[in-house]
Amino acid sequence: MEVSEKPAKILLVDDEEYLRNGVKRILQIEGFEVETAENGTEGIKLGTEIDFDVALLDLKMPDISGIEVLRSIREKMPNTICFMATAYASYETAVEATKLGAEGYILKPFTPDELIHNIEKGLQKRRLILEAERLRLEREARLLELAFERSRLNTIINLLADGVLVMNQFGEMVYYNPAALRLFDVDKILLAERIFEVLPPEVREIAEAILNNDSFTDVSQSVQYKLHQDSEQPEIFVEATCSPIPDNEKKKTAGVVVVAKDITQYKQIENLKSQFVSMVSHELKAPVAATIGFLDLLGNPKLNLSDEQKQDFLDRSTYRLKSLLTMVNDLLDISRIELNTVKREIVKLDLAVSVADIVQMMEFEAAKKKITIHFNKDEETTYTVEADKPEIERVITNLLSNAIKYNVENGEVFISLQKAGAYVLLEVKDTGIGMRPEEKERLFSEFFRAKNEKTKGIHGTGLGLSIVKKTIDRYAGKIEAESEYGKGSAFRVYLPEKAVI
Amino acid sequence: MNYEKKILLVDDDIDVLEQNKILFEAEGFQVETAENSVDGYEKFLEFKPACAIVDLMMEEYDSGFVLAHKIKRHPMGKKIPVFIVTAVASQVGMQFDSMTPEEREWIHAEDVLNKPVVISDILVKLSDFYKEQQ
Repeated sequence: MEVSEKPAKILLVDDEEYLRNGVKRILQIEGFEVETAENGTEGIKLGTEIDFDVALLDLKMPDISGIEVLRSIREKMPNTICFMATAYASYETAVEATKLGAEGYILKPFTPDELIHNIEKGLQKRRLILEAERLRLEREARLLELAFERSRLNTIINLLADGVLVMNQFGEMVYYNPAALRLFDVDKILLAERIFEVLPPEVREIAEAILNNDSFTDVSQSVQYKLHQDSEQPEIFVEATCSPIPDNEKKKTAGVVVVAKDITQYKQIENLKSQFVSMVSHELKAPVAATIGFLDLLGNPKLNLSDEQKQDFLDRSTYRLKSLLTMVNDLLDISRIELNTVKREIVKLDLAVSVADIVQMMEFEAAKKKITIHFNKDEETTYTVEADKPEIERVITNLLSNAIKYNVENGEVFISLQKAGAYVLLEVKDTGIGMRPEEKERLFSEFFRAKNEKTKGIHGTGLGLSIVKKTIDRYAGKIEAESEYGKGSAFRVYLPEKAVI
Repeated sequence: MNYEKKILLVDDDIDVLEQNKILFEAEGFQVETAENSVDGYEKFLEFKPACAIVDLMMEEYDSGFVLAHKIKRHPMGKKIPVFIVTAVASQVGMQFDSMTPEEREWIHAEDVLNKPVVISDILVKLSDFYKEQQ
């Protein structure tokens, strides 16, 4: 009976009071909710305010005709099912009422059964209309969603940094995004354009091979190429991957998707890596070559070496191999620091104690060159940092050992501790040979050792400061260097008091 | 054409330098050594060698090229062979095994050889060079 859970709402517009009351009573017995109006004006007011399920309109009323009431209601509430009630139907009014959307005529006088039958029919119609309406709205909403999905997907693909290009089995362009233009280095691609002519030859080759394959094989192929090789624009390295698109039966290749990726950064890292590898091999090879050289001399009977010379060569070979061992250990330490696999035991470390210990340990080395070490600190202050003791002491040792190594005879080393906010500042200053500006720049790079007439005879792996820098970086500290060639260098290390490691 | 048995060795590895000095001296050469390219050029001017063997990587990764270039630009240097030696030719992306005349012109050296130096090879190259000069 009901369209929804609620009882159906019926509007009754008739100027005859006895009929209104009679019909109202009949419909209420049937369970309908009934509103009545005694003239056209009132009928329009009610009928346009409330969305009635069914309206029963008397055709002839003193003020406004039922046709006008019908027109107004239909305009405002197109889903209200309207019946015209009249004692004498003319053909013209019937046509007009139908045109305006009346459901039908109920001829007066009518029996309760006739009335209810018509109302039931009207309600059924109303249910259908409302259901259709609901479906229509639902469909519209879904279409909207679909359109939204599609535009969202488009936006995503268009914003991808990777280039995407799709071609059909004839090698014609079907789809591409803006990044594709950049990574294939073309100004524009036309829809359905034969794409092979514009693609880089490396990509073209594998895309063509995929399309020429008679049967579909789900295997992607990648190729790398360079852009702007001879132009003023920066060189770009690109990796393009071509994947076949299967047809519906997955038997034939229906097209190719090409995804192009800018791999310039990877290439740069790769380059740095191979540069590092070649540097390492050079540094490792040198002591081995020198040692082999000495062994060859020792084994050469034509040379008539003196015993003294022989001993010298053996000593020097041993020395070279020992420093090679040190270098390998340093390299392992660097890689441990970089991979962060160093086992640290973070303790409260009093730097004043550490520095004093290390100074004492180095006195012997310093004495060889008659170097004086001065250690300045405020006796009242404690210089505590949270750190791994061996790791930090190695930093101090490295800096102090450099200050002695790169110093002059009778030189001085000043080492001091200060508080600097949440940091402890360790400064190591020497009166040594200093660095040239271009040497200072490369100070912390692996294997860099200032090579000039003044550093002649000073040995080292070129890894010490690199380890210092990497260690301090790990502790979120800072290292600064100041230097003047011929005058000396100063290193300042800021270590946070609280461990952030 | 005979050449004076005078050779200049430039290498920043003093051990290698001394080893080669001993070996060339054993072959009857007069040997002068330098540990860097600046010193090497001065020794070249003073010593007037019949041949120079220059290490590639010294202060800089290409110090040897620079020195060879300077020597070859000097009128005296044009007449002598200069050999660049390196332990890492292939690692630094430089392959000179089969040098074209253009490359030789650009590099300003007769040849780039792998370390360690094989004295007998140098002797052959040296006499070949002076034979061609005739």
